[in-house]
Amino acid sequence: MLPATLEEAVEALAAAPAAVPVAGGTDLMGAVNAGLLRPPALVGLGRISELRGWRYEDGGTAVLGAGLTHARMGRPDFAALIPGLADAARTAGPPQIRNSGTLGGNIATADPAGDTLPVLAALEAAVTLTGPAGSREVPVSHLLTGLDPMRPGELLGWVRVPLLHAPQVYLKATGRSGPARAAASVALVLDPARRAVRCAVGAVAPVPLRPLEAEAWVSTCIDWDGERGIDPAALTAFGEYVAGACVPDPQALADPGGPAPGAGDGPAPAGGPPAAAQRLRRTVAVLARRALGRALK
Amino acid sequence: MTAPTDTASGAPGAGPAPEPGSAAGGVLGNVFGAPAAPAEPAAGAAAEEAAPEPEPFGLGSSPVRQDALPKALGVYPYAADLWAEGLLWGAVLRSPHPHARIVSVDASAALALPGVHAVVTAADLPSDHGGRAAGAPHGPVIADRPVLAAEVVRHQGEPVAAVAADHPDTARLAAAAVAVEYEVLEPVTDPEKSFHAGPLHPDGNLFRHLPLRFGDPDAVGDVVVEGLYQVGRQDPAPIGAEAGLAVPRPDGGVELHVASTNPHGDRDRAAACLGLEPDRVRLVVTGVPGATADREDLSFQVTLALLALRTGRPVKMALGREDSFHAHAHRHPALLRYRHHADSLGHLVKVEAQILLDGGAYADVSSEALAAAAAFSAGPYVVPHVFVDAWAVRTNNPPAGRMRGEGALQACFAYESQLDKLAAKLGVDPLEIRRRNAMATGDLMPTGQAVTCPAPVGALLDAVAAEPLPPLPVDEPDTEWLLPGGPHGAGDPAAVRRGIGYAVGMVHMLGAEGADEVSTATVRVSGEQATVICAAVDAGQGFATLARQVVQDVLGVTDVWIAPVDTDQPAAGPTARGRQTWVSGGAVEKAALMVRHQLLQPIAANFGMSPELLQIADGKITSYDGVLGMPVSEALEGKELWATAQCRPHPTEPLDDAGQGDAFVSVAFCAMRAVVDVDIELGAVRVVDVTVAQDVGRALNPRQIEARIEAGVTQGVGLALLEELQAEDGRLVNPSFTGYRLPTALDTPEVRIAALLEERDVVASFGAKAVGAAPAVVAPAAVAAAVRAATGRPVTRLPVRPQDAVV
Ligand SMILES: Cc1cc2nc3c(=O)[nH]c(=O)nc-3n(C[C@H](O)[C@H](O)[C@H](O)COP(=O)(O)OP(=O)(O)OC[C@H]3O[C@@H](n4cnc5c(N)ncnc54)[C@H](O)[C@@H]3O)c2cc1C
Repeated sequence: MLPATLEEAVEALAAAPAAVPVAGGTDLMGAVNAGLLRPPALVGLGRISELRGWRYEDGGTAVLGAGLTHARMGRPDFAALIPGLADAARTAGPPQIRNSGTLGGNIATADPAGDTLPVLAALEAAVTLTGPAGSREVPVSHLLTGLDPMRPGELLGWVRVPLLHAPQVYLKATGRSGPARAAASVALVLDPARRAVRCAVGAVAPVPLRPLEAEAWVSTCIDWDGERGIDPAALTAFGEYVAGACVPDPQALADPGGPAPGAGDGPAPAGGPPAAAQRLRRTVAVLARRALGRALK
Repeated sequence: MTAPTDTASGAPGAGPAPEPGSAAGGVLGNVFGAPAAPAEPAAGAAAEEAAPEPEPFGLGSSPVRQDALPKALGVYPYAADLWAEGLLWGAVLRSPHPHARIVSVDASAALALPGVHAVVTAADLPSDHGGRAAGAPHGPVIADRPVLAAEVVRHQGEPVAAVAADHPDTARLAAAAVAVEYEVLEPVTDPEKSFHAGPLHPDGNLFRHLPLRFGDPDAVGDVVVEGLYQVGRQDPAPIGAEAGLAVPRPDGGVELHVASTNPHGDRDRAAACLGLEPDRVRLVVTGVPGATADREDLSFQVTLALLALRTGRPVKMALGREDSFHAHAHRHPALLRYRHHADSLGHLVKVEAQILLDGGAYADVSSEALAAAAAFSAGPYVVPHVFVDAWAVRTNNPPAGRMRGEGALQACFAYESQLDKLAAKLGVDPLEIRRRNAMATGDLMPTGQAVTCPAPVGALLDAVAAEPLPPLPVDEPDTEWLLPGGPHGAGDPAAVRRGIGYAVGMVHMLGAEGADEVSTATVRVSGEQATVICAAVDAGQGFATLARQVVQDVLGVTDVWIAPVDTDQPAAGPTARGRQTWVSGGAVEKAALMVRHQLLQPIAANFGMSPELLQIADGKITSYDGVLGMPVSEALEGKELWATAQCRPHPTEPLDDAGQGDAFVSVAFCAMRAVVDVDIELGAVRVVDVTVAQDVGRALNPRQIEARIEAGVTQGVGLALLEELQAEDGRLVNPSFTGYRLPTALDTPEVRIAALLEERDVVASFGAKAVGAAPAVVAPAAVAAAVRAATGRPVTRLPVRPQDAVV
């Protein structure tokens, strides 16, 4: 089934409740090929052209179509609007994947290492879910944490993102130069109007984590009225603060009951949970420090 | 067909082999569904190429490979493209456990599925002498590995049953529906524990212990450095996964179309497993989609054949990626403990080593890999006293086997790391310490064998050292600088350190320790068209191109057709261990020379001179005195000549109880300088440049050598930084291309060739040395040395993980 509008797609899904929506197919088809998934029918979202672009709403908001590909988001015009999301899209896999993989698919898959997720969390974006009963708006974080999950028959249509007109940075550690999933990632956006720094850490937990206290603290260290300068020591302290908030205490992990943090698809952490957590903390601290440094440069 | 060594057997018109185009004609006709017929690929291309530039011709030139265009266009027929009318699809059920007893196998649910034609298990294979199902054990050296597990499974992914059905999905579902009851056993996955664990196989857990004793055990040096090194499990990860087609023959035999790199060996073993005479199994080699030594495991081939025999229908099987990771052998993970003694000037006095290779569940070629690891344990250096104990053991890990430079590679990482350590301790330049100890022709290896071939170790080091270093980013502020972490990555120039590392290594060519190396080739000339019939598989390394160059060189003809390979031809041995150029190339040359003699003899007789006084050059036959100048085309007109010849290099002997003996036909050397950038906070490494100097004997096709070097370096960089097939308690953790990280273009450095040193190896065909393995052996050590230089960290494990490179 290849509906041409979101409405048609919702109808198609209502008519065939067992059908599975597919956008770029980069996640879905992998699961099908691996024999993990046998959808009885597919509803292709690729022909819904309205979802492949974006529009503006007053109040400084961009409404992004779920069908935006990573490649499209990586282009300069989009990067000028939402640089953090563009950064993330540019690192989301090899070019073939970025040409077909979509924003909506990335959110719906909700992989811990999904590259757009920390950026959306830091932007405090919201998604519009459309189902037979109509549309509703849900903050991305509620969707990802399962606080307010997608319901049967619903499609993700739009993503509402505030336009902040200030630097945004997305950094991911992969341990290689070629494309790879994040072992840890940090998204950081400045919100000069509110004199706020917002940050989210990806790939270290099932969902992006927000170090709220670190954000609040560091926003007091920035000279907002001048050149947005910051003391280098504060940058380092911010990194440590973020890492401390988002990666469990290695000492606590030393007791065998502690959960091991997810480390992407990189080589398995050696040296047991405490050593692995120690390294992950360090990586997150470096990423957060660098991200803020770049944002304030 | 028999072909005694060096005997021209033949008369015009009595060609021994089928017409080139009909080689696969016997049972199937055209087995490729694709419209592009593989039979005459040259015709169209040649017509277009009749452009101004004359095609490179003969040895020493670099003609474009015949398969380059079809591969680039996507029309090259690979095994996965095979098709036959009415074929069934095969699928394999693999053990989920690394170690378990099979209590029962119940195929009834699978057989009940509509579309399922057969389910086979160990019980369908010939039973052992006691009449029990043993799964037809086989192996390249020791027959210890069942085609389908009987009674016990010894590694995760071991095939237990196979299914043929009318649709691939049905086959997969049916395989999953075969109910196997296991009694799970404790797996032994730590090779160090294998020695004292209960036997995992009736043959025991020790594949081989090789003690090597050379010199005086009591010798000591002024300086001693010790180290413990670890090499992870690399996978050959062929981009084209295992695929093949089996077709039953009316005579009760079977025809196998597979991407084998050892057609006759595989045919013989497959026949034995099936309980058939070898001549009732015919193996036809299809396009090989990547191989770095052995390719398809025998279980795959035999299972395919068995399903075809059982159903009486053609059966095709194409493995998925995860299956592929389970099916083929990996590189031996290794643990190497070293102690180097040197005098105060850095001259090596003694090397002591303990080497442990994890062979996984079955023997495969572990004993051979171990011989290389022990024999080359001290590297290309003069060391008067060497004491090594090397073991290859059985575990419940995935089986290890042949992979470019097996054994030699693991040792190279360890001894080169030790030399860096020694240099640091003595305050000597790493390059200098290598020069001071470099081996040369006439020196003894620790096996007591003298190096009789060229051993230009010092010259190789000088060549890489003389090459200018890549520029530093500060010197080229305008160029875009790719940081570790890649484009749009997290890299920060302030945290990047550059490191330079050197390594030199050695590897043997051809089979060792008495392996019978032999190949046979037939060259036929019909008018101006020459044909080569030789069962040496071109797995992408370029043998077909080389054979063409050889015939051009000897006979002066341009048009040389290389026949597709099948087992109706005489054996040429496996495409592995860098042997085809020497052994099969040598056989092609001999056959071509015999044809040349047949061609020149009557002409010489006409002029009353001996054929030796005639030469063929630039398409002309000329005499020494210039009296004769006849175009080759004229001499060949209407003629039909052919000859078959064999090449058999000089024999070797097994290593004795003290690791002594002339075990190798020849050795090749390679030196590298690696330059890396390391983000010392995140531990991300980017290899900027690898500069290579290699001992090639003679560069028969410079471009192909460069391609082999680039391939070896890339594979070496992969092992150094990325590639590790991890197993936890014997279970694969990352059997996918997302989890198993192959180098991409962004991870691959600039590869520069500082020198291809051409000192002829007088015993080798053409004087040429094998070129494929040496760069793969040396690259990991060079990259590790560079990371060490950049970070000051010890770097004792491959692959280097981010945590090993943070400062
Ligand atoms: C080789 C490779 C590398 C990759 N690397 C990265 C990477 O580095 N970083 C990264 O973040 N991701 C990576 N991915 C994952 C993937 O490309 C992304 O998650 C991509 O954004 C998914 O989008 P898609 O359109 O292809 O999703 P699809 O595969 O089409 O769909 C994925 C899931 O989302 C559902 N879905 C899709 N659209 C909607 C919608 N509008 N409403 C409701 N449900 C929907 C589908 O039903 C399905 O369950 C990689 C994938 C591959 C194969």
